[in-house]
Amino acid sequence: MRDLIKMVVVLLVICTTSGVVLSYVNEATIAPREYQYIKFVQEPSIKAVLSGYNNDPVKDRMQLNLGEDQEGNPVEKVVFPAKKDGKTFEVAYSAAAKGYHGPIEVMVGVDPEGTLTGISIMTHSETPGLGARIVEPKFTDQFAGLDLETTKLSADGGKVDAVSGATFSTLGVITAVDAALEQFPQIKKEIF
Amino acid sequence: MSVVKEFTKGFWQELPPFRLVLGLCPTLAVTTAAENGVGMGLATTFVLVFSNVLVSILRKLIPSKVRIASYIVVIASFVVMAELLLQAYWYPMYKALGIFVPLIVVNCIILGRAEAFASKNPIIHSFADGLGIGLGFTLSLTVLGSIREILGNGTIFGTSVMWSTFEPLKFMVKAPGAFVCLGFLLGLMNIISRRRPAH
Repeated sequence: MRDLIKMVVVLLVICTTSGVVLSYVNEATIAPREYQYIKFVQEPSIKAVLSGYNNDPVKDRMQLNLGEDQEGNPVEKVVFPAKKDGKTFEVAYSAAAKGYHGPIEVMVGVDPEGTLTGISIMTHSETPGLGARIVEPKFTDQFAGLDLETTKLSADGGKVDAVSGATFSTLGVITAVDAALEQFPQIKKEIF
Repeated sequence: MSVVKEFTKGFWQELPPFRLVLGLCPTLAVTTAAENGVGMGLATTFVLVFSNVLVSILRKLIPSKVRIASYIVVIASFVVMAELLLQAYWYPMYKALGIFVPLIVVNCIILGRAEAFASKNPIIHSFADGLGIGLGFTLSLTVLGSIREILGNGTIFGTSVMWSTFEPLKFMVKAPGAFVCLGFLLGLMNIISRRRPAH
């Protein structure tokens, strides 16, 4: 019996200590991890969707509060404005949607009229050789110049040709871009 | 045994993964480039040193029936820490190593050292053992990664080293290249150690 109690107590103490230490390390590294994520994942995509700016969109990023979702949780969005001579003329921000295997994160660039200037896929876990081809310029370039109305599959009356054999992955990207464009009117009020 | 000897044995007598043929999964998977070898080796060293020290401190408190569970919790904690730190300060390496960072938890070298060494030896010795084995592992992975990168890509640490007409042997950076390269190195080490008098 004493052995049993000792085992339980020792394991309990070790696990608790581990939990406390790890949550501390997690807290302590939030800021640098976020910075690295922006630098290595978001920045290349931001550069791909915006053009003709002379500021640093990452440095000028703004956190916007876009009201509440259905459950009453606040919706916050980080946006990256492209400025020329101090005037914002385009904005980039990200959105995500479910793909065939997991979430697809997309960075979109939008001008004040709500027209896409470009999109770039940041992270995805689609099938190599099939769904993963959503990152190819042949697919992503189609989105430049589209708006909320035309961002649909060509089969549904839109202007996006699906990646062959990867309809779900294509729909994932379209859903993410649509979600981003639906938020645009609110973002527009805040920054333009 | 002296502390120095515990440290230096990791570089030849018990050099992982060649003498202690353990931890082959990351060895084969991540050594596509010299830099990845260094990153993986250092992450493993970090975990190995700290888990060895902690296991050694706790060796008289942990009941033997739950020792493996306790060691795994200790090791897993340091692995998560290593992962968070890589993510925060060395993001490209975090991306390059991918799933193999969390998989350090199941690296037999680490559990092996905790069970076979740190649970029976004082703290200083365990520290020296962890550091020696860890750096030995780093060295092995870097050598393996360098050979594969030079032959498979014509570069080392990203710098071009081969003559301009050199045609890279692409298969060296793929899985078969890892096995071929590891096999040759193991063979080479066996030849050398056979010629040296046994310790």
